[in-house]
Amino acid sequence: MNRNESAGQFEQLVLTAILNLREDAYGVTIHAKVEELAHPKPVSLGAVYVTLDRLEDKGFISSRLSDPTPERGGRAKRCYQLDALGERVLEESGVTAKRMWDVLVDAWGKDWANEWLKELGRGRKRRPYATRSAEGC
Amino acid sequence: MQPAPPRAVERIVEFFIPPACRENVAGDLHERYSNPRDYIFEALTTVPLVVLSRIRRTTDPGVLLMEALLLYLSLFAGAWQFDRPFLYGEWGLFLISLPTVVTLIVLVLEDAYANPQHHSPLKPILQSAFAVAFAFGIQVALTAMDRALTIPRFTLIAGLSVGLVLIATVRLLFPPWVEPPKAG
Repeated sequence: MNRNESAGQFEQLVLTAILNLREDAYGVTIHAKVEELAHPKPVSLGAVYVTLDRLEDKGFISSRLSDPTPERGGRAKRCYQLDALGERVLEESGVTAKRMWDVLVDAWGKDWANEWLKELGRGRKRRPYATRSAEGC
Repeated sequence: MQPAPPRAVERIVEFFIPPACRENVAGDLHERYSNPRDYIFEALTTVPLVVLSRIRRTTDPGVLLMEALLLYLSLFAGAWQFDRPFLYGEWGLFLISLPTVVTLIVLVLEDAYANPQHHSPLKPILQSAFAVAFAFGIQVALTAMDRALTIPRFTLIAGLSVGLVLIATVRLLFPPWVEPPKAG
């Protein structure tokens, strides 16, 4: 796998957000989802745009403009979707993360793992994912 | 009724967003609007990154380096021809790099802010002419402030004229990227 066919940690978060949002993946929703995934680290909207551009250049995702909507002042959304290469890279990242997790659980014990999973659940509840936009892309 | 950012503020923010992504970025900022202070803060933290990303996407480093070398060498040749003592001076080689840097900054911004829907065969020439004219204007302004920072007039005119022809030719041969080449 060459450098262009791998994704950094933040890129993996953005790819995961796009996968999760499916038809509703655009700037605002992707940012909200990435913030939820990266909790408690703050994520700026600008960083998400920069990463989306880079992922598009790498051929991991593609985008199209939707129809304008009134809640955006009559402007269109740029909707993103995973391409085959992006799906493959995300799959590989997930498998690697799972292998890492298994090693950590093995080294630090199941109690540690359960505590972390509880913490993650609490974090998710603290940050409800919401958007003003009623319809998807 | 949904809260919306003040129209004047939104117009200013839109002005700074490159046209290629103006629609979606301005729309996202509008959708996230809650109050003017947060809107301005978010615009201030978002737009510079959007511009930098656009610069990365529209700038071909190889072509930019070629343009820098050609312009610098044009000014060097101008100084060699018309004012050799200036070139041998303490800051001569550094001072002829200033118009080069200004021209390149303007060219990079012109590419980033170019509207991808407007195509014109004259665009590379007009962009080069504007960038060189801007660098000339900066030199004129510097002359009024401190003559020590400027390069002699004939050197400047000759160097920038030759540089303009060379840069325009490079831009015609290697047009600026609208989108960067895709990987794979």
